[in-house]
Amino acid sequence: MLVTYGQAIGDAMKEEMRRDEAVVLFGEDVAEFGNIFGLTRGMVEEFGKQRVRNTPISETAIVGSAIGAAVTGLRPCAELMYSDFTMVAFSELFHCCGKWRYMHGPEYKLPLVIRSAMGSSFGAGAEHSNCVESLFMHAPGLIIASPSTAYDAKGLLKEAIRSDNPVLFFEHKQLYQVKEEIPDEEYTIPFGVADVKRRGTDVTIIAVGLMVRRALEAAEKLKEEGIDAEVIDPRTLAPFDKDTVFESIRKTHRVLVAEESNKTAGIGAELAALIQEEQYDELDGPVVRVAALDVPIPYNIALERFAIPDAEDIASAVRAMFA
Amino acid sequence: MAYTKELSRKLYRDLLMLRLFEKRLIDLYAAGKIPGHIHSGIGEEAAFAGTLATKKEGDYFKMSHRDIGASSLLGVSLETMFAEILGKTAGNSGGRGGINHISELSRGMLGFSGTLGCDIAVAAGAGLTIQNRGGDNIVYVYFGDGTTSRGPVHEAINLAAAWKLPVLFVCENNQFAISTPVSEGVPVKNTAADRAPAYGIPGRVADGTDAFAVYEAAEELTREIRQGGGPAILECKAYRWRGHFEGDQARYRDQAEADRWIKKDCVQKMETWLLEKKMITETEIEEMRAEFEAKLDAAVIFAENSPEPAPETIYDYLYA
Repeated sequence: MLVTYGQAIGDAMKEEMRRDEAVVLFGEDVAEFGNIFGLTRGMVEEFGKQRVRNTPISETAIVGSAIGAAVTGLRPCAELMYSDFTMVAFSELFHCCGKWRYMHGPEYKLPLVIRSAMGSSFGAGAEHSNCVESLFMHAPGLIIASPSTAYDAKGLLKEAIRSDNPVLFFEHKQLYQVKEEIPDEEYTIPFGVADVKRRGTDVTIIAVGLMVRRALEAAEKLKEEGIDAEVIDPRTLAPFDKDTVFESIRKTHRVLVAEESNKTAGIGAELAALIQEEQYDELDGPVVRVAALDVPIPYNIALERFAIPDAEDIASAVRAMFA
Repeated sequence: MAYTKELSRKLYRDLLMLRLFEKRLIDLYAAGKIPGHIHSGIGEEAAFAGTLATKKEGDYFKMSHRDIGASSLLGVSLETMFAEILGKTAGNSGGRGGINHISELSRGMLGFSGTLGCDIAVAAGAGLTIQNRGGDNIVYVYFGDGTTSRGPVHEAINLAAAWKLPVLFVCENNQFAISTPVSEGVPVKNTAADRAPAYGIPGRVADGTDAFAVYEAAEELTREIRQGGGPAILECKAYRWRGHFEGDQARYRDQAEADRWIKKDCVQKMETWLLEKKMITETEIEEMRAEFEAKLDAAVIFAENSPEPAPETIYDYLYA
């Protein structure tokens, strides 16, 4: 069936809520309004006000109550609207979600999902445009998913809702309207399995979120120039599929990490360290990082564009690896 | 209220258990046997004994960092508790959590966050489960006067009030947030109960040195909550007898004031009352003490003999 990335996410939630009455949804404006991007339209009508609830603007209570509900038998799929707001509930996510089971014992399970929308969207500004996976990669105990396609989004969200572990599910705003043909049949995607979005031989581009599409665009350009890029989408930053990435590196011997988060201590920083630690002898050069500039995302559209990598930035960084 | 012999003796028994547990903890800590920090709640037992005497099967609890002994009132074995306190494998999290994270889900215990205030909403979440499931169970959540200044506490109470979740918010006002007197950090007299009208929910203050007073207030409030009345706040006024943590000399406060409060001993009061009413004998009291001390002895020995967690198990319990 042909669906948008946003519809796939909505469908995943609906299907899981039909499948298991323990699944509940809450967040700001998810009920009658159907979520700020329309993803949960029709859900309060179908599942009722007990299972689909609007919350006040209370991120710490949204996350905290998701923990309490999860521990006592519900399976909350809670929403924080914008990924930037995970910062508002950072303690509840980093300390509480990530550590609850470890601190209290194996009886405790946290079958909860915290969904949010990330990334730039043309003038949303410094506090509504962030990609924050790297901040949570540092936290033991969390699962982090950042799908780049409707297929991945649906499979990963279903997996997340069925998982007994806390999952941070980051959706990219610019992808919500992108259409894709996905299977009619039910499927889930396991965590910790990367997807090779494009096979190639000359360079491994690890790309996250919107940067997957930018990397694929860059790969098309590079192909014409005689450079054949392999594009790998980790899909989950935690757990991270080292095997798929290392297999690629043993083939290409060149790696670039493309992320929309800013460079310092970003996703690429961790992956570069990991790769040079464990695959040093396979590398023909340093791991290259393409990331946003270390600035708050500006409101001015041209500045926003300048701060965030595009396909040409990725292509140009790859060319420099072969110069 | 007329107090039956059964209820009165039960309250005394629970108070005595909590008191002897606290004393044992203090002694063990002084002997260097407990890692990290402990936060004694000696003198504050009435808030826990009084409120928990109103509990029902199927209720949930978010406990405090003081009066850890209250977990035994919920059914956690002393062996498990001391094993966790000493960081041993026989603890509920095999020594990974420590004294503040003594918790058993099968007893309705939700867990605890040392980032005080982050876990008040956890109680609201358990209230959400009860509301979705139906029935007259409630959630008891405990926190101190210091914690009431945290934003997440406001969010949690606000959410519970807006959704009419079945939660009893119990504030143990022992008048100190570490070294800061409550009057310095809180602009109102009763930091939790005075704010209840702001949420449109009932709020009561009870004498936290009187288990009967706490019980009465809790009984009244929980009855309404169980009938779908929504959440309520109970503020128990007591005094922190010792420092914030063991080792804190508490030189920042007036010892004469502390001594006045220490005289309002909730265990002593109940003991005197029971003896006067001839609801208990001196012999029975001695027997009870001996019984608890023996149980504590056995639990401590068990914990001391329990193995240390092996380093290879350090990743256990991280993921389900």
